[in-house]
Amino acid sequence: VKRRGFVAVAGLLALGAASCGDPNRPKTFSSDWRDDQGKTIGEVLTRVRGAKPPPSTDLVVSVAGRDKIIGTPLGAGSPWTATHALDGRPIIAGNVVVVSGNGEVVALDAASGKAIWTRPTGNVPLLGAGDDGNLTALTLSRSSGGSTLLMVGRDGTVVRQLETEKALGAPAVLGGLVFVPWAGQYVSALDPQSNEEIGRVTVREKVTRAFVVGGTLYFGDVSYVRFDDNIVRASAGQASKVGVPSRELPGTPRLLVPGTEKIPAVANARDRDRLFGRPDGASNPFGVDSNRFYADYYKLVFGFDAARGQLSWVRTHPDEVIGGEAVAGGLLTCDAQGKLTVFDALNGATTMEKSVGEPIASCTVQADTFRSPKGAPSAAPVAKQIIEAVQLREPTLATAQRLLLRELATLEDESATKTLVEIATDPRSAPVLAADARASLATRRNGASYMLTALGKHYDFLHDVLMSPPVGPMSDALAAMKEAKAAPLLASHLFDPADTEDDVKRASAALAVLATDKELPQCKQFFGMYRGTASTEDMASAVASVAEAMLRLDAKGSRPILEAALKDSNTALPVHARLDTLLAAANKDKDNKDKPDGGT
Amino acid sequence: MRVSPTCRLLAAIVVVFTAAGSALAEPTKPPAKPAAKPAGKPAKVDVAPMVAKLKSNDETQIRTALDQLRNAGAGAASAAPQVADLLGRGLSETTTVQAIDTLGDLESPEGSAVLAQYAGHRTLTIRRASVKALTRTRGPAAGAALRHALGDPDPQIRGAAASGLGALRAKDAVPDLFVALDHRVNEAAASIGQICSPDQCDQLVAKIGKVPFDVVTGGLDQILFRPSAEVSDEMKIKVLGQVRETGTAESNKFLKDIQKRLPKETSPRVKQAVEQAVRATAGGPQ
Repeated sequence: VKRRGFVAVAGLLALGAASCGDPNRPKTFSSDWRDDQGKTIGEVLTRVRGAKPPPSTDLVVSVAGRDKIIGTPLGAGSPWTATHALDGRPIIAGNVVVVSGNGEVVALDAASGKAIWTRPTGNVPLLGAGDDGNLTALTLSRSSGGSTLLMVGRDGTVVRQLETEKALGAPAVLGGLVFVPWAGQYVSALDPQSNEEIGRVTVREKVTRAFVVGGTLYFGDVSYVRFDDNIVRASAGQASKVGVPSRELPGTPRLLVPGTEKIPAVANARDRDRLFGRPDGASNPFGVDSNRFYADYYKLVFGFDAARGQLSWVRTHPDEVIGGEAVAGGLLTCDAQGKLTVFDALNGATTMEKSVGEPIASCTVQADTFRSPKGAPSAAPVAKQIIEAVQLREPTLATAQRLLLRELATLEDESATKTLVEIATDPRSAPVLAADARASLATRRNGASYMLTALGKHYDFLHDVLMSPPVGPMSDALAAMKEAKAAPLLASHLFDPADTEDDVKRASAALAVLATDKELPQCKQFFGMYRGTASTEDMASAVASVAEAMLRLDAKGSRPILEAALKDSNTALPVHARLDTLLAAANKDKDNKDKPDGGT
Repeated sequence: MRVSPTCRLLAAIVVVFTAAGSALAEPTKPPAKPAAKPAGKPAKVDVAPMVAKLKSNDETQIRTALDQLRNAGAGAASAAPQVADLLGRGLSETTTVQAIDTLGDLESPEGSAVLAQYAGHRTLTIRRASVKALTRTRGPAAGAALRHALGDPDPQIRGAAASGLGALRAKDAVPDLFVALDHRVNEAAASIGQICSPDQCDQLVAKIGKVPFDVVTGGLDQILFRPSAEVSDEMKIKVLGQVRETGTAESNKFLKDIQKRLPKETSPRVKQAVEQAVRATAGGPQ
């Protein structure tokens, strides 16, 4: 308690001292600051320009069990393990790994896992950490609200400690200055030596994290803002910024976990549904590495074109992906079995695989200079990748598979039609997926042979065919393709009681276009069986379509049948109305043709 | 005793509707007493007035004629083509069902073709009525339609089709009936028992322990009461031996029931086998 009191007084003194400095500078984390049009942040930029932080360790830190921390280097170096109680996920910052638990934070050497220093925290949650090789900045969430910013030297001494009522995000350290996002829109630059806020920028994007990648400083949350010359125009919305293209994504993935949020030690559902992108420090205009964004969704991993948002590739992983990070030239993922996989940015091919050595509960990745190995093997075409992904019969994947199905429907590839047919006819398909596949099938204009094969099947309890083919959608497609071979198959479906009424209606409509003389007897049979028993609009419509086919194929022979039905009280009312219209139109046509001028 | 084909068919129909009524019914009784109608051809009825009504295009008249034909039964079979023609041209749902029932009552194979078509109708009541009627009209189309109906989405239709195939003595349908039995169409057991060849009867016996006992005994019962000309004493003794081997209380109950119903003319060997089996299974586990 004494120590906490001392810390609080020291903090207040520090804030007071800060307020006595240059009147043009903002008071630390004060909200009465007026935007200075980039003046102070411009000065900060000048000060850190040329700062070259040492390369950070390329490392995957995994949590196994309750307290085991495993370091797996991505480059040279040996794997290491450490043991410490964990109340949150380890954070990799530069060349240290900060772990929190049991009322303390410990900085481990990222290369060896050995403890560098330990500081008590009073069990307040650790939110974020930044490091430049000399100084580690930590943000902690106070139980009474607000935050603590702790700056710790390599020897473990607390250089500065600030207490504030503001919600601070995850900090970064560059050129000896600490950059702290706060209140969701500001980033303050603090000088640990003077204990002053020496600059501030208002970012017109949500910012809760500051981080350094490849020697460049970025701020971000839902997008990335680069700390470059344009930062002085940030308050006018003209900072260098790159965001995720607007497109449908599987689930509701986040690009970054907000820096104000404590991340649990064990991966949860949000880790299985994430977005990844690596800001490209050298790009102009500012963009992401390899022009790719990535997403994971349980066992699926996606690559998207960053400019247009199109799906570039999708890979099906044997186990659920529980974490990862975009690296130069690709995406690194970790799965629950402790397998690390690097996917090539361009085509999703696997370029590297590595094992943590045991099943893991979560992972954190830092890839500063690591890049996906070049010379990636060729990957399957995206159509095949989609097909593989949508054929995985796992209900948890249905949301992402629906997205992929829509992608599949846009491909001019017969194998896409084949897959849609298979999904629509497989009883193991998730109902929403089967419904989507049906809808997409109706719009296909290729793959008729697959549709014809499917139409040849009927419900058959004895032979375990417990699902009818998607007769209606395929009828639409085959009629649009004018596929004459479909006629006998469609005619057989008129008499399949397991088909839905909608299927029968659409099959009949297709027969109105496709039926030949060979189908005429079946049309007549259907007309006889249903003209008096069609009790729904769909079935009445089916009867009318079949009557239309009869008239087209054999007007002379069919007209008396239809006219008799029109006069017969046994004919169902909805059928009667349609027959009336059909015959009236047919008579008008006939009259026009009989006229000497042909009705012109 | 020589049983006429008509008597045999009527007996079979009794079996069909007993079995169709309940999937897990009591073991089917032996097809011994077709008591309802006397043997021989039914007296012919003058159908001309009824046919005239059928051709009237007036629904009321048509329905009256259908009622009259149903009352006349098989004696009015010559009107079947006209009823079939009406169905082919189309009727309202109520009249359709009535016409189908009429064809069933007329028992004329000439009704089978149109009934086979209506056995695939979307309306369940129409489909059920058609399958039921087909077991009475027989004819070449009936067997094929009933075999097709074994795969119907409706369990009641599957059961009725299975029973119907036994009633029609559709021996070529036995393989399908076995598939149906494996798909829990329990009525198939009794039908198999009615028409199985020795090998097929063996196959049914082998189902003891694989399908519920009361289902398989529906077929074994049929085998045991078939005439010696169709099923040898050896086969019947084999069936009894297999049931005896189960040694359960329910097998004892089944065997006792068989013992009570054994006809006088049953061979002494079979009678003895039954007696021994009853004794051997007495006091068996439940």
